[in-house]
Amino acid sequence: MPTNDTEPVRTRRSLLDLLLGVGFIGFAASALYPVLRYLKPMASAGPGGPLKLTADEVGKLAKEHSIITRLGTGRVLVFEDAQQNLRALDARCTHEGCTVQYVPGDSVIWCACHNGRYDLDGRVLAGPPPRPLALYGCTRDPDGSVTIQPPKKGES
Amino acid sequence: MSVDTSNIAKEGGGVFGWLDRRYGLTPLVEFMKHKEVPVGVHSMFWYYLGGATLFFFMMQVCTGSLLLLFYQAGESTSYESIRFITTKVPFGWLVRSMHCWSAHLMIISLVTHMFSTMMLKAYRPPREMTWVTGFILLSLALGFGFSGYLLPWNELAFFATAVGTDSMKAVPGIGDFLLQVLRGGTDVSINTLHRFFGLHVVILPLVMVGLVTAHLLVIQRQGMAPPQGHKTAPKGMRFFPDFALRDLQLWLMCLIVLASLAVFLPYGPHIPGIEWELGKKANPLAPAYPGIKPEWYFLWIYQLLKEFPAHFLGMEGSQAAVLLVGLLMGAWAMMPWLDRRAQRDEASPGFTDIGAATLIFLGFLLFKAWDIGGGGIGDKLPDPVLTARICAFWWLGIASVATALRATVLHQRYFLFTAATALQIALHGLLGMQYLAAGGIALVALVIGLLVLRSRGQAVPEVRS
Amino acid sequence: MIGLLLAALFAQTAAAAPAPAAALPKPLAALADGKHKDGTPILTQKQRDTLAALPERTIKLLSDAADSMILGSPEELAALLSLDVQPQVLDLIATDNCVLCHADPMNQKPKALFSPDPKAAGSNPLLNLRELVSDVHFRAGLSCAGCHGGKPSDDVMPKEIATRWPAEEVRHTDRSWIPEFCARCHSDTQFMRGFNPTLPTDQLAKYKTSKHGELLLEKHDNNAAQCVSCHSVHGIRSAKSRNSTVHPQKVPETCGKCHADPEHMKGYLTSAGAPLPTDQVEKYKKSVHGQALLVKGDLGAPSCTGCHGSHAAQPPEVASVSQVCRRCHAQNGMLFDSSRHKKAFEEHKWPECGQCHGHHDIQKPTVSLIGNTTDTLCGKCHAENSKDNPKCNETAKHFRTTLDEMIAGREEVSGEVEHLAEMGLDIEPVTRSLSDLDEAVTQSKAKVHSFSMSTFDAAAKPGTEALQKSRQEIGEAHNEFQFRRRGLVGAIVFMMLLVAGIGLKLRELERSRKDSDKP
Ligand code: FES
Repeated sequence: MPTNDTEPVRTRRSLLDLLLGVGFIGFAASALYPVLRYLKPMASAGPGGPLKLTADEVGKLAKEHSIITRLGTGRVLVFEDAQQNLRALDARCTHEGCTVQYVPGDSVIWCACHNGRYDLDGRVLAGPPPRPLALYGCTRDPDGSVTIQPPKKGES
Repeated sequence: MSVDTSNIAKEGGGVFGWLDRRYGLTPLVEFMKHKEVPVGVHSMFWYYLGGATLFFFMMQVCTGSLLLLFYQAGESTSYESIRFITTKVPFGWLVRSMHCWSAHLMIISLVTHMFSTMMLKAYRPPREMTWVTGFILLSLALGFGFSGYLLPWNELAFFATAVGTDSMKAVPGIGDFLLQVLRGGTDVSINTLHRFFGLHVVILPLVMVGLVTAHLLVIQRQGMAPPQGHKTAPKGMRFFPDFALRDLQLWLMCLIVLASLAVFLPYGPHIPGIEWELGKKANPLAPAYPGIKPEWYFLWIYQLLKEFPAHFLGMEGSQAAVLLVGLLMGAWAMMPWLDRRAQRDEASPGFTDIGAATLIFLGFLLFKAWDIGGGGIGDKLPDPVLTARICAFWWLGIASVATALRATVLHQRYFLFTAATALQIALHGLLGMQYLAAGGIALVALVIGLLVLRSRGQAVPEVRS
Repeated sequence: MIGLLLAALFAQTAAAAPAPAAALPKPLAALADGKHKDGTPILTQKQRDTLAALPERTIKLLSDAADSMILGSPEELAALLSLDVQPQVLDLIATDNCVLCHADPMNQKPKALFSPDPKAAGSNPLLNLRELVSDVHFRAGLSCAGCHGGKPSDDVMPKEIATRWPAEEVRHTDRSWIPEFCARCHSDTQFMRGFNPTLPTDQLAKYKTSKHGELLLEKHDNNAAQCVSCHSVHGIRSAKSRNSTVHPQKVPETCGKCHADPEHMKGYLTSAGAPLPTDQVEKYKKSVHGQALLVKGDLGAPSCTGCHGSHAAQPPEVASVSQVCRRCHAQNGMLFDSSRHKKAFEEHKWPECGQCHGHHDIQKPTVSLIGNTTDTLCGKCHAENSKDNPKCNETAKHFRTTLDEMIAGREEVSGEVEHLAEMGLDIEPVTRSLSDLDEAVTQSKAKVHSFSMSTFDAAAKPGTEALQKSRQEIGEAHNEFQFRRRGLVGAIVFMMLLVAGIGLKLRELERSRKDSDKP
């Protein structure tokens, strides 16, 4: 009987087609998914660019005159001097690496670990720190937001 | 080529029909249908290597294009953007590590493909140009590797590039000019990076695509080389769909291997010359440190440069080394014309042996460059004499096993070149002779051996399959 | 005529070997060409080259000195050239008759000879020409005469020279004249202004208040240090010079010359009446301060003088020692002052910082000091002196466990970080949290000095949070890796299916071809 003879062949074929189809679709999906995810732009800015302070941070800055924030892997001390100019310095003490703080009353940057003192441009005033703190660029934009620029290589 | 409209099918629906009516595809399909791949005494495996290389090249094009979407060439952006890709962009790590792995796998399959062609004498007439285009493709692939290595602008790449480009100046006459053109100045700087970037993403790809097309066209035109001794293939496998589907299977397998390696060893297998951990950013003012090595496929040249003394035969050592490398490469490119027996479609076991000897020669240099057995751990520098000895043990062992297999399984009888190479390795590694002196002695022994064979009249034992 | 001929002959033989001293003025050339008895030249080739390279002015000054025979012998010229100093210094020497005369080995007995290598020349080790020419006073143009009297231009030694100091028999056995002698200039503000306006002029006043001064000036104890004991005699350098005996990194050694010598210190007692120890320098070198100064090269770290003072050297007593520490460790001092320990320490008359941290051998404080068990500093002292007050014990225990947790947690997390990095995962967030944690550990260690739970907790809280965060981030990284692996396995499965499907398809093709061949 011809029908009996071709029946298993046909089911085998359609099974094979199913297998091929599933394999292909699965493969295509698993190849496309990473590519599409890769291509979808991300919310945050690009690599190592300038940093915008969050609204929270800006608020805290207005209230406490200084904040410590992150830029890349480092910490930055952003503060407001007596003339209400914003400044930003590397927050890592050049002595042993403690995080420094802004003392508005004395207009100095103070490192509590060994009583190191810097002026508001990061120059060493007293104590053991061997080098000045790196100066970051810091600007207040017209809309009130604050942007910090990493220091250029070679100028510290 | 204008389309002969008289041949164009008048009927036939669908997209194919539409296209066929306009561009005359039927003859092409007919050609594909009747094209056959020779099936012979050799394993079919060798015929797939070219396809695998093509696959890896296509992977390079895809992943490279993806990387290009985020990469920013520049002093303060190159390193940062690569870092950004690998850490922040979703699946960026995968794209980069696939790109790196695929580059190495491409070179591996390319080199294997070339050696199999050499062993099977597939370069014999009328396929000389296939060999030559293939050789140029290999050089281009090496150029890809060299130029791409610098792009992340990290410390390792920076120094390796400085060392690598430096050997350029040994090219007689135009060395300094070449060096400066390549570096975009007297030193490796950000100018070099921009040049390499242009080379890597525009110039080389254009040339490469053109040559790959040429390579494929001549293959399609001439068909694949039948096994030696048969003017035409005894049996054939249909290229389409039989061979093409098998090719597709192989490609999928390659992709599986590639993806697994990329996921489990995202920074390479941690062998010098096969790793791409980002490390520190390049600082042109920082002092170099020991252990800087180029990528593995350049290591034999690197080692050869080290084996040359400051002055050799009235030349500067490095000039002599570069000259030697140039001669070897040139000879390799001219293989179809050098192998006279193969030209007459006779067996040429001598050249089979040259292929085997070349592998041993390169392998020994590679092992030496890796300081295998030198005992260099931490700050301790490896001991060159010890390295040479252990590497010699390795490669003498490998050579004898390979020779035994060739003699027993493949019934080959010609081992003169292998013997000469082994002699050099033994003299250098076991007796502590200078590498070049040992090479000289081995060369003299080889010439004497060749002369003796020739005087006996029966230059080569003929083996017909 | 004959002389000329001879000279020509000489010139020829000289030309054969070293370069001729042709361009030199005659008197100097004669010295430069001087030969040993066996005919070999006295000046080495290098010294000749140095001489030839000197500027005209220096050559002229040297030649003048040679002409007047004060630069008296080729040997002396060789000695001067071997010093390898700038020409300006040679100018100074060439115009100073004292030096010229006293540096001529052919003209001076070893006892009074200045030589570049006194040991080889058999002269007094203090008469080191090399040292002398780098002496800050010499370089400032003070010359020998500045201390010894006379004038550099004197051809013969005037009577006056012997009269400035006590007679030879006395001046070595009772050195109490030295401080006053140096102070003639160094306490004279007008005079010092001409040389170094920023240099203090109160050294003598301070010295008088120091232990050393008390011993020397009042008890005429010759063992006590005076100016030259530390500053040296003929090779005095500014404290900024690395070769100076009073450079911060050299101070421990300089003090140790006496204080580490049991022989020298025999018979001296502490204020409590015990023999004065001599192991301070040894201890100091191992201390955190010694390591920072001597090994790490942190010139901000205190040497002996940092705590004891230099000219006014005194053991800091109980009342002042903690003030000394506060100069650098200000925050900890302030915390301590407002803590409940302040009063207790005062009652016991304990030195504040030193009581727990030690003195010369202060080590980097570890958490093992803290705790309520008697093998910790807190526990031990409280068991002995505070009747094991349970509330205190609880605080101590809390400090310890919190710190331990943070430190152990850090250890554990950072052990995983490397592994994760190798697998290609983004470890930046974890590294950040870890650096936050480190900061918090430092801060809370400092806040221990408040001995108050709330102050401590305020500092420790960000730490425990950072630790938690880092753990979470590690977990996320693990998940991410899991995800990658699963994704890969999934993709492989589909690809395998496809491969198998194609394989079957091929078989199918062949079979159907065979079928169609059959009929
Ligand atoms: S760490 Fe800042 S002063 Fe020591």
